[in-house]
Amino acid sequence: MTEVRKDIPAISCRDVSVSFGEVSALSDISIDLPLGGIHAVVGQNGAGKTTFARVVAGIVKPDSGSLLINGKKIVLGNVASSRSTGIELVHQSFALPPSFTVAEALEYGSGGGVGFFKKGDLNNRWRRHLEALEMDIDPRHLIQDLPIELQQAVEIARALSSNANILILDEPTAVLSPSGIAGLFKRLRRLRDTGVTIVLVLHKIREIWEIADSITVLRKGKLIDGPMELGRTKPESLTPMIMGAKDFKENISRISDENSDNKVLDQKSISTLPKNKKHALEIDGVSTETTDHEVSLENMSIKVYQDEIVGLADVEGNGQVTLLRVLAGLSDISKGKIKICGQEATHLNLSKRRLLGLRIIPFDRNMEGLSLTSELWENWVASELAVTPLIRWINPMKIKERCKISMSEWDVAYNSPEQKASDLSGGNCQKLILSRELNDEAGMIVAAQPTRGLDIGATNFVWTTLENARSRGCGVLLLSSDLDELFKISDRILVMLSGSIIRELNPPYDLEKAGRAMVGESG
Amino acid sequence: MIEFHEFLVAILRSGTPLIYAALAGVIVHRSGVWHLGLEGIMIIGACVTIIGIVLTNSFIIAILSAIIICIIVSILQWFVIEKLKANQIIVGLGITGIGIGGTAFAVESIFGSLAAISAPFGIPRIGDTFGPYSGLSVLVFIMPFAVFSLWVLLLRSRFGLRLAAAGEHPFAARSVGANPSIMRLIAFCVGGLFCALAGAELAAGSLQIFAQNMVAGRGFMGFAAVIFGGGHPVGSAFAAMFFSIVSVVGIRMQIHFGNFVSHDLLLCLPYIATVLGIWITARAKGRTNSASQISELRVQ
Repeated sequence: MTEVRKDIPAISCRDVSVSFGEVSALSDISIDLPLGGIHAVVGQNGAGKTTFARVVAGIVKPDSGSLLINGKKIVLGNVASSRSTGIELVHQSFALPPSFTVAEALEYGSGGGVGFFKKGDLNNRWRRHLEALEMDIDPRHLIQDLPIELQQAVEIARALSSNANILILDEPTAVLSPSGIAGLFKRLRRLRDTGVTIVLVLHKIREIWEIADSITVLRKGKLIDGPMELGRTKPESLTPMIMGAKDFKENISRISDENSDNKVLDQKSISTLPKNKKHALEIDGVSTETTDHEVSLENMSIKVYQDEIVGLADVEGNGQVTLLRVLAGLSDISKGKIKICGQEATHLNLSKRRLLGLRIIPFDRNMEGLSLTSELWENWVASELAVTPLIRWINPMKIKERCKISMSEWDVAYNSPEQKASDLSGGNCQKLILSRELNDEAGMIVAAQPTRGLDIGATNFVWTTLENARSRGCGVLLLSSDLDELFKISDRILVMLSGSIIRELNPPYDLEKAGRAMVGESG
Repeated sequence: MIEFHEFLVAILRSGTPLIYAALAGVIVHRSGVWHLGLEGIMIIGACVTIIGIVLTNSFIIAILSAIIICIIVSILQWFVIEKLKANQIIVGLGITGIGIGGTAFAVESIFGSLAAISAPFGIPRIGDTFGPYSGLSVLVFIMPFAVFSLWVLLLRSRFGLRLAAAGEHPFAARSVGANPSIMRLIAFCVGGLFCALAGAELAAGSLQIFAQNMVAGRGFMGFAAVIFGGGHPVGSAFAAMFFSIVSVVGIRMQIHFGNFVSHDLLLCLPYIATVLGIWITARAKGRTNSASQISELRVQ
């Protein structure tokens, strides 16, 4: 192990900026993580956590800035340089070739040179290493045959094979079951006690509280605060920092000011007492089976009236994705019922649900919302074709004309309907999706993170659109982990934790209360 | 007994170029690229060897220039795939076209006609001590060692593991500090060396002649052997050997049954065996999940 001094930070990065194309992933980050201990780096998706981890590990080369490890400057964007100072990164999706045996996977990253070996020696050497780490894994097994916990263990064993003194784990809990997480945390604590500095990239607040010694918060590529010692901070103050409601104190006072003389906002408090209104969406006691990849829903009930926007707040990883999959008919439910616009829809597929008026704006517009390699008009008409008979005459000229009209109405900046969707910016992509989904037949809109990654103008456009839909008599369910957004346009907010609705909040909203509710504290 | 020796000599003669081609395909395959340029690079190796012998009267110079030129063409293929991001299938076929057309062009511009060129001598023989096998070239003799060395390099060395990681999971290779692009370059260079040997053995091993398009699909059969052998050096060598046994049996059958069965059909046997071999391997799972199964480089 390289010689280390107590007073020098283990990782010290100065003014590090990274951008991918036009997207800025990290801007002028300066963080000093002290030697020893477990340091959590937290933030939402797209906050730049993974990029930060990869910059330190040398996989991503920053555009500017410098990086000191144990007081020594290292070459940026060079894995070998980072590894030689004792940094090892355990990836979110494990970076082990599936067809390798455990021993081979441990061997290929170690040392330099050609490195000839005998199979028996190789297995024995790595069996000893695994035993020393108290990992019960046969080095002859294939990686692809191992359960995900053991794959992660192998990755950690690989990282620790070369005298690592700084171990970075990127979202290590995302793939693990609760017992797997407990095992991982036990292992990490033991490593910390041997003097290894551990950096954990996380986004679940409960886990941070369980394991971390210090917390660093990133949001939208910027350092919000940190490293803060755990003892000096509270979970409820952390949520707003992660979610982007740090300055929300001002917003709250603004809303309450407006509240006094603004009819719309007055109405909000009334709309929680609906009379003679129909439900646009009724989810009644829905549960899903537990799977490895998704948080399961437990007895979830949500009712959305026609002409209201219901916000669904959760910290990511508490079942948003599962709920959306259930609503889209992609995940099976084990019990419960779903009604859309008053009609039974529990066992209908998505195209039937669309006919009932359900519209979904998915989480990832580039993967689920659009086909980036298809042309604009094809994307635009896709949802219409999905509910019509398979064999039908299609007239592209007519569709393109209609598409043009629609896109102009929705203010999509485009050159021609024959453009590829990948040419559009994020905001225009979202507008294209809105123009497709929010036609007159829409009765219930489920919008998942509809403004993520959008600039202010596009964000406002989306909000106005949802509000207009509400005044037309649509129900809107807004899934978001951005408290600013939820507070701004929701008529009421449901708080979701670990697959259940645990609280309903009504305006005027209280930031502290929301923050506490989202980490599962009462009060 | 003499019959058997003759049979074995024939198999080794026709099988050795195939095996070298398969070895070239194996290392490139494991690095993550389908090596469809084998045919083209192999014919360049054959052509340069014969022209080299004719022009310089030195086998050493001839084989060295064949190796160098084959490596250069391999690097060209790597460059277009890796740096210009072209589809590797199309590039491989393009290299094959360049090889076949380019060798014909070279022969015509040097010798003024497209007729077959014969060289005064070929690859040195292994010598009289080997009895009935004395007529075989030293490249046949070296072949088993080449297979073994490549096996050690690819399956019993850290370098080999990194090469396979670069092919199967480039991000994994990158995250331990190996550059997948450089790994592929090394694979292509070694592949160029083996292609040169394959071409040299084909043209100067027993015939000492270069004719247009004389490789006649052996490069593609070498590639088929790679798939048949699951990307494993020894498995692929045996697959290549199997193809050559089938082709020798086909020739023998022509002698015995030539009057009853169409000889075109018998000449087809190795190709039929290739298709059957691929079909069989498709049913049994291969050892490597090379990235190249999707025919485009994985970039992560």
